[in-house]
Amino acid sequence: MKRFFSSALARGLFWQLIGTLVGAGIVTGIRPLLGMNALDTFFFTEPAWVLGGFFGTLFFLAGSGAVSDWFKWSRGIDTPDHHEDHNTGWAKYVNVSLDHKVIGVQYTVTALLLIGIGGLFALIFRTELAASQLQFLTYEMKLFSQSGPQLYNTLMSLHGMIMIVSILLGTAGFINYVVPLLLGAQDMAFPRLNAFSFWIAVPAAVLLLMSLFLGGFDTGWTGYPPLSTRAPVGMQMFFLGVFVAGWSSILGSLNVIVTVLRMRAKGMTAWRMPILVWAAVATALIALTATQLIGLSFQLVMFQRLFGMGFFDPAKGGNPVLFQHLFWFYSHPAVYVFILPGLGVISELLPVFVRKPLFGYRWIAMSSLGIALVGFVVWAHHMYTSGMNEYLRVPFMYSTLLVAVPTGVKFFSWVATIWKGKISTPTPMLFVLGGIIVFLLGGLSGPPNATVSTDLQLQDTYWIVGHFHDTIFGGFMFPFFAAIYYWFPKATGRRMNETLGKIHFWMMTPSFFVLTFGMMYVGLLGMRRRIVDYDPALGIDTAHLVMTIAAFLIALSVLIFFYNFFASIRNGEKAEGNLWNSRSPEWQVPSPMAAHNYEKPLEVVGEPYDYGLKDSGYVRFIEPAQNKHN
Amino acid sequence: MEHHSQTKSSALGQGVVIFVYLAVLSVLEYFVAVAFDAVPLLVVVAIIKAALVMYYYMHVYKLNQEENEDEDRESYEYKTATNRIGLWLFLLSDGFVFAGLLVTRSNLLGLTRPPLNQILGLAVTAVLLISSFFMNRGETAMAYGDRKAFMNNTLVTFVLGLGFLIGVVFVEWGLARAEGLVPSFGDPTRGPIGGVFYMMTGMHAFHVLTGLIFLGVVWNNARKGVYTAEKHWGVEAAAVYWHFVDLVWIFFYPALYLIGTAVK
Repeated sequence: MKRFFSSALARGLFWQLIGTLVGAGIVTGIRPLLGMNALDTFFFTEPAWVLGGFFGTLFFLAGSGAVSDWFKWSRGIDTPDHHEDHNTGWAKYVNVSLDHKVIGVQYTVTALLLIGIGGLFALIFRTELAASQLQFLTYEMKLFSQSGPQLYNTLMSLHGMIMIVSILLGTAGFINYVVPLLLGAQDMAFPRLNAFSFWIAVPAAVLLLMSLFLGGFDTGWTGYPPLSTRAPVGMQMFFLGVFVAGWSSILGSLNVIVTVLRMRAKGMTAWRMPILVWAAVATALIALTATQLIGLSFQLVMFQRLFGMGFFDPAKGGNPVLFQHLFWFYSHPAVYVFILPGLGVISELLPVFVRKPLFGYRWIAMSSLGIALVGFVVWAHHMYTSGMNEYLRVPFMYSTLLVAVPTGVKFFSWVATIWKGKISTPTPMLFVLGGIIVFLLGGLSGPPNATVSTDLQLQDTYWIVGHFHDTIFGGFMFPFFAAIYYWFPKATGRRMNETLGKIHFWMMTPSFFVLTFGMMYVGLLGMRRRIVDYDPALGIDTAHLVMTIAAFLIALSVLIFFYNFFASIRNGEKAEGNLWNSRSPEWQVPSPMAAHNYEKPLEVVGEPYDYGLKDSGYVRFIEPAQNKHN
Repeated sequence: MEHHSQTKSSALGQGVVIFVYLAVLSVLEYFVAVAFDAVPLLVVVAIIKAALVMYYYMHVYKLNQEENEDEDRESYEYKTATNRIGLWLFLLSDGFVFAGLLVTRSNLLGLTRPPLNQILGLAVTAVLLISSFFMNRGETAMAYGDRKAFMNNTLVTFVLGLGFLIGVVFVEWGLARAEGLVPSFGDPTRGPIGGVFYMMTGMHAFHVLTGLIFLGVVWNNARKGVYTAEKHWGVEAAAVYWHFVDLVWIFFYPALYLIGTAVK
């Protein structure tokens, strides 16, 4: 326990608490001097909570030690490029480390934790929906000063954003862990920025969760004004949390792009990069730039609430639709941030398990970039019913349908790769195949929403909920699980239990189909999104009950996964060699890998995915003696 | 050893020429805006000014370096080139915030602008532009190993930057408040002028403030003798960031002070 309390995580959280009190205290002290009330419903006033949340974040970063090298640099003190990590075992992961592999694990575990919390929230409101009428989230119940239905709104909204943050952290996790290994690099280009990007996500998660206790908020994860200008203080904590999490995403992406540009092994030309690297770059391009717009849109609402600025207030000449434009300029491309890394994992793992070259390597690489670029010009398909100018509808419909082209390229490539392959199906491959099928369903249920005439009917129904859960599970959850099962031995030197992994897959996948088909079904019958109750006359009570059971089965399967994950760290079967018989460089050396990855520099001498072709190597290690002669 | 393609005096001379160009364009811009109602022309002038700053003051061409596979990746040059890409990506990202604010402004206010004193706007713009000129002189001095000149020029830059900050946050905001242009000011016919004005100037002022802190840090480190002609990435980064702040203002200034008609 002592090791934990002296860890960067514990120190950071302690200082976040202090910072929150300091920030809130400052505002609370000043307000009476200006003749304003010092205290409010949630003890502090709203501006006090906002400054407190902001200070808390800064104090966390200073207190955890994530920025101490930068402070030294600013005073002209040099620090060594790499720090020796004296921590061992789990302590390594709750302290600031500059090793991209440690940071990758930190991201992944934090993401899993948030998936657990977000999933728990989902179970609570899913249970409420199991039958029509209010079951336990009633008007009479009060929790965190919220009535049942308001709590439903808060949990539903937080489920959305916590899952989004967990996806951002999860993709950052495997990208951080794997991309430098795939490139043959020692680390990321900016190790300190890398650590910073992770650590800033921790106070962000705390801020998001704080909103639950400060009255919650009822807007859904989109935070549209005017509702978000009237919601309780929790709304501000939500905005602030997302803003801070956004910086994690932006700076992490910056690091990925620079790493890929500058840290590739000898001979790794653009067309010889592993396909996951292409996906990571495409993702990073979106996250680097577009994220600023969600930050800006949320800031504008925050300032509107704090200072009465009239951006989205029609009474002051503001325009609520402008918020939606700014918001979706990020939040649509963001879904490609969620799925592109996952699709990259699918393309990366598929050749390994079918022992065949990846079909159309260049087309897949370009399709990732294509999805990313087209993704910038499709945002208003979320706004067909918003009251925006009508002439915008059709262009956005066509640009949205255009996304199907590069996405289709990926599907054709996957099918052609699998075609006549020597398929083996260990757990990672099961999740790869599951991901392909689920993402296909997500993709096929997309065009009806992109098409104006049908979307006018489908907008804000449960059909949409089914659609995006398919895309996110297919594009992120399944590949994320695949990536964990696949690279777990690399990180720990042990493999996860195959039987439990298969139980996880075979329990989760059918339940998931039941759940999302159910969502689409009730949606078409008139079930609305984001609502605590529905009319029994719709005749969808049974469907909801079945969906709720399916949701619990998914939760159970994820619990099995959690058990498998944590138990295998210590007790898993040893797997230190090239377990999957992969050509990728990280599998050519024993697991787990040392602090600076490869002992000898490597050189790319062939194509990455020439599985099954004789005498075709991808990388070779440069022997020191040979190195000298060159 | 950094390779210099020009002599120190020609590098400094180039800074002067570019400054004259920028100053002439700024004056031209001002009179165009006062005399005619030519928004496209203002946009063109702003883009030309931005291009001049990006090329001659921010040295964007340094990003385009020959890749050499056998380069020593632990060398200061290689790391500096890597850092440079990182910095520019950060600026690209940051640019989206300001672009978003410009979109917000044009959506909400259109071809009207806040009721501000155009002379004051021109004055603070001149101060920031002159500070950019001295920043360029300082960076050039450091690139040739002249620490003393670097510190003097950076000090001038710092003072001018502080002058800009005071001019905006105290003078301009003070005058605006006195005339009733408070943050919550706005009505359905004129738009949320207060919000747009304070958000745009405030976001820019925040970047000026961080730029000043950055300048203070490199000045102090130069005093300690941290930088040499070969190794002064911190100086380059601070200078590029400072010019970026100027670059943003090249677009914000016409958007706030020049475009369209002032609302009453």
